[in-house]
Amino acid sequence: MEVNITRQDKVTTVQLIGRLDTPASQEVAKTLEPLQENASGTIILDCNQLEYISSSGLRIFLTLRKASMAKGGNVIVRGMNEEIRTVFMMTGFLNLFQIED
Amino acid sequence: MKISNLADKRLIKTGAITGLLMVVVAAVTLEATALIQYLYSQKQLKQEASLRAESQLEATKNKILDVTGQAESAVRNNIWIAQWCLDVPDSLYRVTQRIVEDNPAVVGSAIAIVPDYYKGVHLLAPYTFRRLGSYEPVTTSLADESYNYPEQEWFKKALENEKGYWSEPYVDEGGGELLMTTFSVPIKDRSGHIAAVLTADLSLDWLTDLVGNVKVYPNAYSMMISRTGQFLVCPVETLIMHKTIQEVTNSMEDTSMMNSLSRSMLKGESGNQTIRYKGATSYVYFSPMERTGWSMSIVIPENEIYGNIRRAGTLVLFLQLLGLLMLVLIIRAVIKNALKFREVDEKKKRMEGELHIASAIQMAMIPKISADTPTHDDTELSASITPAKEVGGDFYDYYFRDQKLFFCIGDVSGKGVPAALVMAVSRSLFRTVSSHESSPCRILSAMNDFMSDTNENNMFVTLFCGVLDIPSGKLRYCNAGHNPPLVLTKDIKPLPVLPNLPLGVMQGMPFQEQETVLHYDDALFLYTDGLTEAENQEHELFGEKRMEAVLHKRRGVQEHLEAMQKAVADFVGVAPKSDDLTMMFIHYMNKDQKSTTERKLVLHNDIQQISRLAEFVENLAEERNLDKTLAMSLNLALEEAVTNVIMYAYPEGEGGDVEIDASIDDRTAEFVISDSGKPFDPTAAPEADISLNVEDRPVGGLGIFLVRKIMDNVEYCREDGKNKLSMTKNLL
Repeated sequence: MEVNITRQDKVTTVQLIGRLDTPASQEVAKTLEPLQENASGTIILDCNQLEYISSSGLRIFLTLRKASMAKGGNVIVRGMNEEIRTVFMMTGFLNLFQIED
Repeated sequence: MKISNLADKRLIKTGAITGLLMVVVAAVTLEATALIQYLYSQKQLKQEASLRAESQLEATKNKILDVTGQAESAVRNNIWIAQWCLDVPDSLYRVTQRIVEDNPAVVGSAIAIVPDYYKGVHLLAPYTFRRLGSYEPVTTSLADESYNYPEQEWFKKALENEKGYWSEPYVDEGGGELLMTTFSVPIKDRSGHIAAVLTADLSLDWLTDLVGNVKVYPNAYSMMISRTGQFLVCPVETLIMHKTIQEVTNSMEDTSMMNSLSRSMLKGESGNQTIRYKGATSYVYFSPMERTGWSMSIVIPENEIYGNIRRAGTLVLFLQLLGLLMLVLIIRAVIKNALKFREVDEKKKRMEGELHIASAIQMAMIPKISADTPTHDDTELSASITPAKEVGGDFYDYYFRDQKLFFCIGDVSGKGVPAALVMAVSRSLFRTVSSHESSPCRILSAMNDFMSDTNENNMFVTLFCGVLDIPSGKLRYCNAGHNPPLVLTKDIKPLPVLPNLPLGVMQGMPFQEQETVLHYDDALFLYTDGLTEAENQEHELFGEKRMEAVLHKRRGVQEHLEAMQKAVADFVGVAPKSDDLTMMFIHYMNKDQKSTTERKLVLHNDIQQISRLAEFVENLAEERNLDKTLAMSLNLALEEAVTNVIMYAYPEGEGGDVEIDASIDDRTAEFVISDSGKPFDPTAAPEADISLNVEDRPVGGLGIFLVRKIMDNVEYCREDGKNKLSMTKNLL
């Protein structure tokens, strides 16, 4: 699992590469924890290369979303594949995030 | 065809000739027999005629001899008395008187003295005669200058014939116009000189009766002529004593035969002769009369002799000819009939032959399924088609393309040749359309459009079309009003079908496609209504129950087919086939989909072990040919459930295992996750509310939610000190 964070003005892009399963989520959660402090801007979760997501991954997404919302920021989930989109649909997450292709 | 036709005609001609030849041979034999019989009979008849004629001649001759004998005797017996009486001339009257009195046959008697025998007496001839119808004799004298007896034949000839002389018959003008003849003998005196002639007159009136009554045959007749040929008795009365036979003969056109006859008769010969007169043939039998020198003849017309047998012969001939004619007519009629029959027969045979060819062509359109036909490893097929007539409207087809089995079964409305033609079109269309189209509904749509467009006879086709993807077992199908096929799994169920219209009803009709998955060892049974509607003699239908009973026992496709055929045949018995019957079995046997895949994975309660689970699921998915989305879902559900165990089942810092038993077949993927940790039922957790907004939404609790969402069935149980969570996903 690889996470690349790039920041430009108030927009933070998080590129997620690989499988976001439970063990990976534990790592990623730590990596992304600082973003919560800075959630007033826009966070783009780039899922173009995300292959898989488990509930722990979803938990990270939701945690970020909650923080962002509290700070008046925005979270955009971009480029989900079919499988991940299905999971989002099943869990009602599609309504919680701004989704972009 | 034409050659055999010619040969047949030649054969019949030969037969006809043989038949006629036989008739001819029969006719010739028959006629020859008849002819021989006829000739033989003719000979017999002629002999018989001769015999009759000769015996009659003989009898008549004897009767005449008898009478003439009496006259001669009467004369001879009185010769010596007359000699005696010469001395006393007056006594001579006594002599003549006595002769007439004593002999009834003698009508007159005279003693004519030679002229000037007595001196002074020139002529002396005492004469006694009996008048016609009177018994009393009258005695007178013939010594009349006008008569001048010495010049009479009887007198002169008697002088020359010592033994006596029979005169030519004559008509006695004085004595009643009687036909008479006279026998005269010379009488000598004691000195040996002829002194007188003694006569006896014989009336011949009996002669006509005697001879005229000789009737050998009804139309035969007799004649008597005198020495000179004078007619004495003759059927033509005008000839009697007026004409001689020579005169009559000379007046004839052809005299040769008559001449020879008259000559023979006048010569006093006896015999017979054939004469032809005015186209008629007669046989003449003749014989001379002794003493008088007459000749009698019996004339028998040929017709009299042979008339009967000729008539009979003619009748027989006529009947035979009639029979033969009838025979010829019968043979002709028979041959004509035979030809006609043959013609009809030929026509029928030709039509039958053509139907036979049509049947063969039709059957050739149907793929043959036999042991040596190359089929796909993953499918077994059997099919049969039994037309009610030579050709039928049922058909099926199948072939493999791109790892897919394309198949169809159809039933054209109606039977016989029209149905067969539509069937041929349908089958060709199926092949053509499906060669570049893998979607059953599009195949049927294209077929329907074409058939509706050209369907002038309003014939429609019910058709089931399926495309079976061999690797996956996925069956896409479309049913156009056909009987739904049966799916043979553990039980027998009809394949769910949508109510599409048959093909050819209306152009542009939409056809809806359906889909199912066949698993290893599943079978499809397709059939036409000829199966369920097969009728027995009691008009009962074979029906679906009987059909399913046969299918209940699972067998190989060929055995299935044979069992079904036998069941129908047994049920129908001798009842006539009512409809075409077609069946098709498809047995899906993809080895890849074979049996259940069972795998086990044991993980430590370390969250890092989750990656092994991913690998485990990935392998399973690959092995079972599961698609990516499904594989990911299963992975997710498993991960959530296993994470739960790893994180919470065992106390902090305590090692423990979590076992995952996977069991996947074609229908379901089943996973059992077990651990020896503290009892915990994840299914008891409350359902996550996914309708909450971001603020209210708890960040946890999604794991078990996802498990439930992905899996079709999730069950928990505590067993043997273990938590067991069973999760099942339906794969169909």
